[in-house]
Amino acid sequence: MRWIQLDRAKREPARQGCGALLVALALVWAMPASADTAAPASIKYPVAPEGAHAGKDVAQPIEFPHDIHTAVNKINCLYCHTYARRSKVAGIPPTSKCMGCHSVIATDKPRIKQLTEYWEKKQPVPWKKVHDVPDFVHFTHEKHLKKFIFDNDELVQNLSVDTVAPVCAACHGDLRTMTVAKKIKPMTMGWCVSCHEKNGGPGDCWACHK
Amino acid sequence: MSLENLTQDWSRYRNGIEEGGFHNYEHRWGMAIDLNACIGCNACSTACYAENNLAVVGKERFSKGHYMHWMRIERYWDEDQAKAEFPDQGANFLPMLCQQCGAAPCEPVCPVAATYHTPDGLNAQVYNRCIGSRYCSNNCPYRVRYFNFWSYPESAWPAPLNLQLNPDITVRDKGVMEKCTFCVQRIRVAKDTAKMENRKIKDGEFTTACAQACPTSAIHFGDLMDAESAVTKLWAKHQVKRHDDEGLPVSTQHKQNPALRGYRVLEELNTDPSVMYLERVREELA
Repeated sequence: MRWIQLDRAKREPARQGCGALLVALALVWAMPASADTAAPASIKYPVAPEGAHAGKDVAQPIEFPHDIHTAVNKINCLYCHTYARRSKVAGIPPTSKCMGCHSVIATDKPRIKQLTEYWEKKQPVPWKKVHDVPDFVHFTHEKHLKKFIFDNDELVQNLSVDTVAPVCAACHGDLRTMTVAKKIKPMTMGWCVSCHEKNGGPGDCWACHK
Repeated sequence: MSLENLTQDWSRYRNGIEEGGFHNYEHRWGMAIDLNACIGCNACSTACYAENNLAVVGKERFSKGHYMHWMRIERYWDEDQAKAEFPDQGANFLPMLCQQCGAAPCEPVCPVAATYHTPDGLNAQVYNRCIGSRYCSNNCPYRVRYFNFWSYPESAWPAPLNLQLNPDITVRDKGVMEKCTFCVQRIRVAKDTAKMENRKIKDGEFTTACAQACPTSAIHFGDLMDAESAVTKLWAKHQVKRHDDEGLPVSTQHKQNPALRGYRVLEELNTDPSVMYLERVREELA
């Protein structure tokens, strides 16, 4: 049964790490809200495609406040939408990720009580999809993030929600100013192509049409 | 996107060999099919149905020619066979799929440029652009373009069979042309993975569904621009050359040495196919 001991030995530091993270997050929570959401001026960002879209309000099962998480508490977009950097889809975090913090933070708030209810019933929160590209489109988050975040050395050195958010905002709008997400960019073919032309993306039909 | 950009791109890939063609491919996906190894089992065709969301149309529509098999096994008999005791026996098999021609006859006839040449040397079909004129199909010497005369999804995949559909490829509907893509969704994944890992695509890293399913490994797939790939070596071994390789004149395309088995179907039409077949070696009956 040696492998169990090994396993336990491996896990122990991780548990401590988790605790440290919780403490750190609690500290962040206690810090005064900062209005400063600007990224350092020296970081070069891609030319974002122009165009606006008046998306409908999508009613979510829990009114998730993006602004409190990102603008106030400075949690990186990629902390929750962690699949964005390694898969086609950005993904919705599992409820366990929410509960990682919210088993101790703000447990008295009505929205967190709602969340805890789902957690205790062992049911996923039925979040609604806001940004959806048609089925005939091949789009990968990972390649876009590689180009615009991880291949941008200066950005990587200053990795924080305020440096990452402007990249995400090119397609999703600035979530630091929204509560629940809303589609405010057109996400049409012409709009995608205009960005590909400005930033050197492929112009081949089959790069996106599948 | 400016119209100018589009037309420039297209004219670049659409040039025939007479105009110099397009010699600057990023990849040129190609195949070698060994007819000595092919046993005509149709596994390739079945795999293609599963991989590419091909609709099963039913006997009646099939008999009218409304079939959708991107990969089919053609059967040929020797003339003497008709007089034999079992005339159905002894067929020669030829797996026929889109030849991804370098100078494709289907491309210039499309009125809406729904079919075009990609920098990978593939004949792409963009379903969203297609208006169903069927010019391309009529101009294809290999008869490998298939038209959706009906809307098949509901009859071919009644729930819950729709769950077996491959999400990486569009489910086509009535009124569009479709054809073999050399499993472009797999190419795309391989290219994406290679890019994420900052490397080039390795030979044999991925293959098409038909090649993967072939029980006798008759189908070889790879990049003809990669000098080290197995397919390039096979092509070289059998002295079959692409048009963009050394800008060959048409006359040298025909097989000079009868001992070499490699050939391309209807090569005299100057379509520069990306599929090389290896002739079946047969006993010569006196």
